[in-house]
Order: sequence, then C-alpha cells, then structure tokens
Amino acid sequence: MIAIFLVLALAASPPDLSGLESAVAAQIAEMRSLADKQSTDPRAWGDLGQAYLAYGFNDAAADCFTKAAGLDPRDYRWPYLLGAAQQAAGRLDEAAAGFSRALKLAPDAAAGWVHLGEIRLLQGRLDDAETALRKALEVPGTSAAAHSFLGQTALARRDFKAAAEHLEAALAAVPEATRLHYPLALAYRGLNDRAKAEEHLAKAGQVGLKPPDPLLDGVANLRVGERVALMRGRVAAQAGRYADAAREFRKALAAQPSSVEARVNLGSVLALAGDRAGAVEQFRDALRLDPANVTAHFNLGSLLPPDEARPHLESVVSARPDDAEARRLLAQALRESGHLPEALEQYGKAIALAPADETARLGEAETLVRLGRYADARRHLEDDLKQMPTSGLLSHALARLLAACPDRSIRDGARALALAQAVWQAQPSAAHARTVALALAELGRCEEAAQWRRRAGDPEEARAGEGCRP
Amino acid sequence: MNVRAGRSTLPSPMLLSLLALLASPAPPPPIFTDRAADWGLNFTYSTGQTGELYFPEIMGGGAALFDYDNDGDLDVFVVQGHPLKPGSPDPGPAGWGRLFRNDLITPQGRNPAPRFVDVTAQSGIRATGYGMAVATGDFDNDGRVDLYLSNFGSNQLWHNNGDGTFTDVTAKAGVDDPRWSSGATFADLDRDGWLDLYVLNYVDYSITNNVRCYAPSSRRDYCGPSTFAPVPDRLFRNRGNGTFEDVSLPSGIGRKAGPGLGVVADDLDGDGWPDLFVANDGAASFLWINQKNFTFREDGLLAGVALNAAGKPEAGMGIAVGDADGDGRDDLLITHLTAETNTFYLNLGGGLFEDATARSGLGAPSLPFTGFGTGWLDFDNDGKLDLAVFNGAVNLAGAMGSGPGIASYAQPHQLYRNLGGGRFAMAPEAGPDFQKLAVSRGAAFGDIDNDGDTDILVVDADGPLRLLVNESGNRNPWLGLRLVGKLAGAKAERDMIGARVEVRRKGAPSLWRRVATDGSYASANDPRVLVGLGDASEVTGVRVLWPDGLIESFPPPPLRTYTTLVRGMGKAEGPK
Repeated sequence: MIAIFLVLALAASPPDLSGLESAVAAQIAEMRSLADKQSTDPRAWGDLGQAYLAYGFNDAAADCFTKAAGLDPRDYRWPYLLGAAQQAAGRLDEAAAGFSRALKLAPDAAAGWVHLGEIRLLQGRLDDAETALRKALEVPGTSAAAHSFLGQTALARRDFKAAAEHLEAALAAVPEATRLHYPLALAYRGLNDRAKAEEHLAKAGQVGLKPPDPLLDGVANLRVGERVALMRGRVAAQAGRYADAAREFRKALAAQPSSVEARVNLGSVLALAGDRAGAVEQFRDALRLDPANVTAHFNLGSLLPPDEARPHLESVVSARPDDAEARRLLAQALRESGHLPEALEQYGKAIALAPADETARLGEAETLVRLGRYADARRHLEDDLKQMPTSGLLSHALARLLAACPDRSIRDGARALALAQAVWQAQPSAAHARTVALALAELGRCEEAAQWRRRAGDPEEARAGEGCRP
Repeated sequence: MNVRAGRSTLPSPMLLSLLALLASPAPPPPIFTDRAADWGLNFTYSTGQTGELYFPEIMGGGAALFDYDNDGDLDVFVVQGHPLKPGSPDPGPAGWGRLFRNDLITPQGRNPAPRFVDVTAQSGIRATGYGMAVATGDFDNDGRVDLYLSNFGSNQLWHNNGDGTFTDVTAKAGVDDPRWSSGATFADLDRDGWLDLYVLNYVDYSITNNVRCYAPSSRRDYCGPSTFAPVPDRLFRNRGNGTFEDVSLPSGIGRKAGPGLGVVADDLDGDGWPDLFVANDGAASFLWINQKNFTFREDGLLAGVALNAAGKPEAGMGIAVGDADGDGRDDLLITHLTAETNTFYLNLGGGLFEDATARSGLGAPSLPFTGFGTGWLDFDNDGKLDLAVFNGAVNLAGAMGSGPGIASYAQPHQLYRNLGGGRFAMAPEAGPDFQKLAVSRGAAFGDIDNDGDTDILVVDADGPLRLLVNESGNRNPWLGLRLVGKLAGAKAERDMIGARVEVRRKGAPSLWRRVATDGSYASANDPRVLVGLGDASEVTGVRVLWPDGLIESFPPPPLRTYTTLVRGMGKAEGPK
C-alpha cells in the first residue's frame, strides 16, 4: 500500500500541452486518452511514453515506461525505453539500470549494449564500458558503433594503439562517419605520429555514428507536424546529413504545404547535396508564396547565372544593407555581367562590412584589373596584405599582377618571385607553380621558368608560347 | 539475561527509522551563505524579457570584483539588461549597470563585515547599453583599475579617474565594437608593459532579424547560436598613450569567425607568452597561440581543445582556468549545454591537451545542466583547486524551474571537491543558498571580506544578485598575495595580470597560481592570489614569473594575511 502510494506520489504530472503545434497536441492527447481508458494495458502506457519521448517530455515518458514495465515485467521494450528516457534526461545511473534490465530480458538487443557502453564511458566506468561494448561487437549491425565507443574508451585510458585500431575499424565500416577522424587524430597524436594526426584532422567532419536501433527509430517516426520536422531537419543539415535533412523538410511540407521555411530549407539542403535544379525549383516556389523572402532571394542569387542572379541579390541588399556576403555576391554577379564600376562599388561596401573577407578583396582587385586600373589594383592588394600578411589568396594575386601585368610599369619580377615562392611553399599547386614560372619569366630566367611550367603540368606548346626573353 | 516471549521489546520499523533520524549526526554546516541583501548588494539583473524571445534575453549578464578605490577591498560592478526595443533607446537609470563601493568594516575581534553602497550616480558611470559582460584592467598604467563593458550593441571603456569617478573614453581610445559582444579580457600580449584588449563577439543578431525557433515539443522557444552567423572577435593593441590600434586582421584574430562566449588569456603552452583561449558556443573552440610578434596561430584542433573527445563541438560558455592537477600547468574546464557534459581539458604541456572528462568525475553530473559561470577555487584551502559551476537553461529542454518565461529555466548549481589525482566528486555541503534553483549566468570569484577564503558573486537572470560568502574555508592555513609592478614607465604600480606564482612548500609539491581577472562567464575576478596550504603549511619561498619574463624569488610571506609582492623587489633568477 505504502509502495503504491509512493509510486503515485513520485509520478510527474502530465506535461502541459499548451503552445504545442495542433497536430502534436492532438496526437499526444489521443494517446493519453487511450492510456487512461486502458490503464492496465502496458502497451497503452508504452505508446504514450514513446509519444512523450518523441517530443522531449523525458520525465513523463519515464513515468509511462515505468508503469508499462510494472504491468508487463517480461517485455524488454519498456525498461529499454525507460533507459533511453533517463539517458535523455541526463540521469545516467537510472538509464544504465533500465538498459541493463532490458538486456537481461533480451540480450540480443544489440543497440542496448552500445547505449549502456556509452553511458558507462560518460560515467568514467571504463571497464564496464568495454564489457558492454564488446557484447555489441558480436552483432554485425552494431559493431561499427561499438568500435567507435571502444576507441573513445581506449582514448580515455590513454591506450592510443587500441584507440587507433578501434576507430580505424569503425571508419572502415562507415567511412561517412567523419566525426571519428577527430578522436582518431588524437590517438595518432598520442602515438607521436603527427603526419597521420594531421591527415585525420583534415578529414574531420560532423557526421556521427549511431547503431541501428529499431525501438528508438520507431520513436523518431512518431513525430508529426511541421515544427518538429523543421527542427530535426536543421539539426541534420548542420551535421552534414543532407539526405536526412531533406527527408525531414519534406515531412514538414507534407504537414504544412504552405510552409515557406520548410521550402527554403529544403532548397538549401538540395543545393548542398548537389541538386541545383531541385533547389532552384524550391526557392522559386518559396518566392511565389512569399515574394519578399530574403533567404530564397539570396540562395537564388548564389545559384543562378549572373544576369538572373542580380535582381535577387539586389532584393537582399535592399532588405538587408549590412549583409556583406550578399553584397560580395552582387559585386561578383555585376562583374561577371560586365557592370564593372557598379561591381567595384559593391565590393567596397562588402569589404567595409567584413574586412576579413579575402574573396571580396580579391574580387575588388580583379575588377580594377579588368577596368585597366592596374596601379590601383596593386595599391589595393598591397594595402590588403598589410592587413592580412599571411593571406595566400591575396599574396598570390599580387604575385600574378607583379609578374604579368599588361602595364609593364607595374611589374616587379623580384617581388613577384618572392611572393610566389612563399605561396608555393605554403601550398604547392599547379596554379602556384605557374605563378612562380611567370615571375621567373619576368626576370628573364627562362630555363627555370620552363621547369616550373613543367612542374605545373602544362603542355609543351603552352610552355613554348610563354614568350620568355632572357 | 531475561528473554520474554509474547511481547516484543523491539521498536517498530517506523519508530526505528525515526530514532535513526534523531540519532544521525547533524548535517555539516553550509559552506556558502548568501549575504547579498545583508551587506547591501540589492540588485536584480533584468533580462527585460518582452515575450518576443529576443536572443540576448537569455545570455546576460556578468559582474566584476575589483578595487576601484584602492582601499584594499573588493568593490562590485554589475551590468544590467532592459526590455529591447528597436532603436536602442536609453533605458534610464533603472536599466543601467551599477557600481557598489565596499566599505569593509573589521571590528576588533570579529569577522570582517562588508557594507556595500550604491555609488553609481556619483561615479559618473552611465552604462546604458544592454549589458552582457565586464572586464577589468588598468589600461593606462596609472595604478587605478578601469572597466570595459561588453554589450549587445556598442561597448564602453570607462577610465577610472582616481577620485571615485569614471570617464567614458571609448571613442578616444578607439575600442568600441557595435556588434554583439559577449566578453573581453585585458592582457599584455606583447609583453610591453601595457594591457591590450581582446573583445569577444557572438553572433550577427539584431532584434529586427529575430527568427522563430521551436523546442523538440514544437513549443516556441529561444533560438540557439547556429541560427545566426558567427562574428569574428576583435583585438586592440595598446599604444601606451591612452589609445588602441585595431589589429584584428594583421594579428589573425579577425580572420576567423566564431560564436564566442568565453575568453581567457594565459600562457597555455608554457613558452612564457600569453595565448588566448576562446570558448565558442556550438562550434569548435579557438586556441590562439602567441607567435611573439602580435600575430596568433589558431591551433585548437591539434592541441585537443577545439572539440570534445568524441569530435563534437560543444556549446562553450564559461571557462575555468587553473592548475587542477597540481602539475604546474593550467588546465581548462568549459561549461556547456544540457545534454552535453562540461568538459575538462588536462594540459599535457607543450600546447597539447587531452579531454579528461570521463575519468575526472566532472562529466556525468553536469549532463542535465547548462553551465555558465565557473571557476577553480580552493574552497576549503586544502591546497587543491575545487570547482564551482553555476547553471541555468537557455531553452525549454533544460528547464527545471517554475514560473513564466525565463524563470522556468532555473537549475541548481554544483560544487565539486578535488579528490586529487585528477578526480572530483560533488560536494553537497555547498549549502542551500549555493544550490538554490536560479537561472545563473555570470559568477565572479574573490575574497570579498578579506578573511582568507574565496567568495562568489553570482548574477542570476531576473533574480537578485547572490553573494555566496565562504563561511569555513579559512580554517585551513592560507596566504594571500597581491602582485604589482610598474612597467613601461608607468605612473603607478598596477596588478601584474599574467604573472604566475609558485608557492614552495616543505614536504609537499609546489602550488602554482595565476594572476588574472578573466575566466568564468561574462565576469571579472579578484586579481589577488589566494593560496590554501592544507596540511603543508610551511612555505619555503615564493617564485614569481612576471608577465614581462622576469623571474624573481621572494622569502616566505606571513600566513593568514595578504602580502603585496612588488616586481623588482625580489631576488632575480633571470628572464625566462
């Protein structure tokens, strides 16, 4: 009697549904009503718990799963989902207890071992983490995730060799899990292999690795409505999971076909995934719904050819005069469509708003060159380099100008060579090798210039036509 | 022995538990007691929440502990918010930051008792911006500490005139930044004797580009930083004539944008030159390594402090810097969002760090909370740096409080005891005033009552200021040091921010502490060094690495009092 009273007293009150999107509130209300009517049915409480968990009501979800587990102690799903709800709430002891109980009932629920291992790792219980994760290694579907956490566990122990082995195994199985390159880089750093550490740092991204988890995937699929799909789409997009993001934004559109935000976001992830035509279609649809939408205008401005892009970018800078990136893109579109004085004006404004924008500074110099204002181009680039002495982009541009400016009075072969060699050393590339060759040609060192053209991979006829005079 | 059957002489289970309660020892007295109201610190930081869910409403604000009148005790400046409206109108005096003077009284034979007096009006400070953070430093080497206020909007540099008044010299000094600044730090980055200024910027946000964001439940909620573009920080080089040069681009700092919320200047790679660590919110943190020519190389990834051990960027907010494991190198603790751990980066030397959160015990307990103000402090003066973290959610996902709007974002706070060996455990005896549910943001650490233990001033969003006074730390022996010097032809001695102190003890490892006011969140700390000695109270000497590279040793200072060490008055051991 006392125990029952305590359980009831500890249960959290049901979440307040006010302010929720109507589809979400209706879904939860319906499940709540079912659970109230069928209060001895563990499935009803379990379903309600999953609905709560899907929308982040973790405490209420935990209460429901506790009730479901009390009504049917043999069903592993309820302690499993209880563990997930407690983990989401940051209560790791309770979460581990839930997963442990579930895994006693269903040891083959492999994702559960991964969750348990992750929890033990967070708790600093490294031996327990390893024990749990090794169980997950035995199941093909979860072995990659298990390897990734075993790698992190080994890293926490400073066992860098084991860490590298596990993380390499995880990446071999799931190469797109780019986030793992970072702990792998740290493992190689610990092994004093700096080259490999830097190689993996360069590959590090934000796509993580999750085990296939039918129960929790089922919870995610319960979500309805536009807002939650929008939010999940944004999270996926930020992690570089563009296909997942597009799926969520399409869900949002299905829930709310007039959602401009969903359409603009869908267009953005399609563009990021390389579907340019699909993206343009979405942005144009968005503008039909909301002709002043600045993001749609901006994105069309960055995707369309210069003449078509211009009006969109002009709409953006009219609405947001301080948008430096839009001004730079407008300047570029103006330059590429031959409106050079107008381009120069926009570049100036973009640089004033974002002084660190090297691309805008380069564009300004290139526009000056196209206007035949070579001395101005040189002066601008020299001023830019005073502000950003380590800029390879601007150093390279100045080297090209000093080496090969049509106005010979602007040229300075010695300085061009010094700049070009520094840029080459920092970043060897064909373009940088060509600039070294141009500087050498300007200095009359034709043989060396030819060698650098060969290094750049230029064909013989191009090398012959460079017109170097010793 | 007589044993009777039939009638039990044993008490019932319920009675047993009652007896057990009565017999159990009394809980230990709380370590911290809130004395803000008792001592005259009556102030509430107003977020000015409008219902529009403007982003700045959930981010402020901070406070400074600094001795502006040079009378030997810590005064208080606290920034203020107000309802945001288009056009940034002056909110009037109720919406300005406040200056409180500490009139510390030390009655014969009794504990020192601060009395705070609001002197904002006579000080001339009109902190009219929407206040986020405050930094302290004597930028003109006149021996009087000045204030830099970071705002949502234009910032302000207030020069301390030395007569209780301040003058706004922002325009003259050339240190404004009209963007959303979230903090700043003064540091002598080129070791020329003049404090330079690093201004931390957050994201490109204005109330006219407010975006509607939603919680996982689909309910309307505040946006996070990823909704807006990050903004580069700014670095100002002190010319030594009351003005600064903006060197953001040539130094490299301005070429990398990040949503910064925490910044510290400290020699993190052990080469004797101050580096800069920037905690970014939801993006990789920056470690700017000083190249000794006023340029900086960002090396956070390879150094192992940009991301956590799993390779995830976290929501960096507050920073605690200190030698937590007693190896002479400063370690970092960064506070983060609910569902992320606070992350403990152990300094391995040579500019390398490792994420030691998992085995430290600092990670798991922090998961449900969103940490802001934080600091290493030796609350019990046992010679080991403990950790305080003040929490408060920024969205509904971490809300644990009740009440409308931001009030529901309240969370409890955490004090961790250093167990040694890089391990920590929660210290529940912190006390109810410490743990009280609140939406905490800035926290400034210092010895407010000069009694030899560290107190904490906490700024809670839409809540009264809390002054958590340490009631018991000074039972263990301690020594207090103020490190001052005159560099670059200074008119007067000032705090030698950036100095490092080694306290040598007989039969125990040395203790290393830094002279700094930065760290925590949006706040400025006591520049003095308070060193708890624990059981090893015999000090054999003190060695100081001054910020210009000079190394000097000093004889053991007296215990249980503050001693001023003056640069040039010790025995030189040579430049580093």
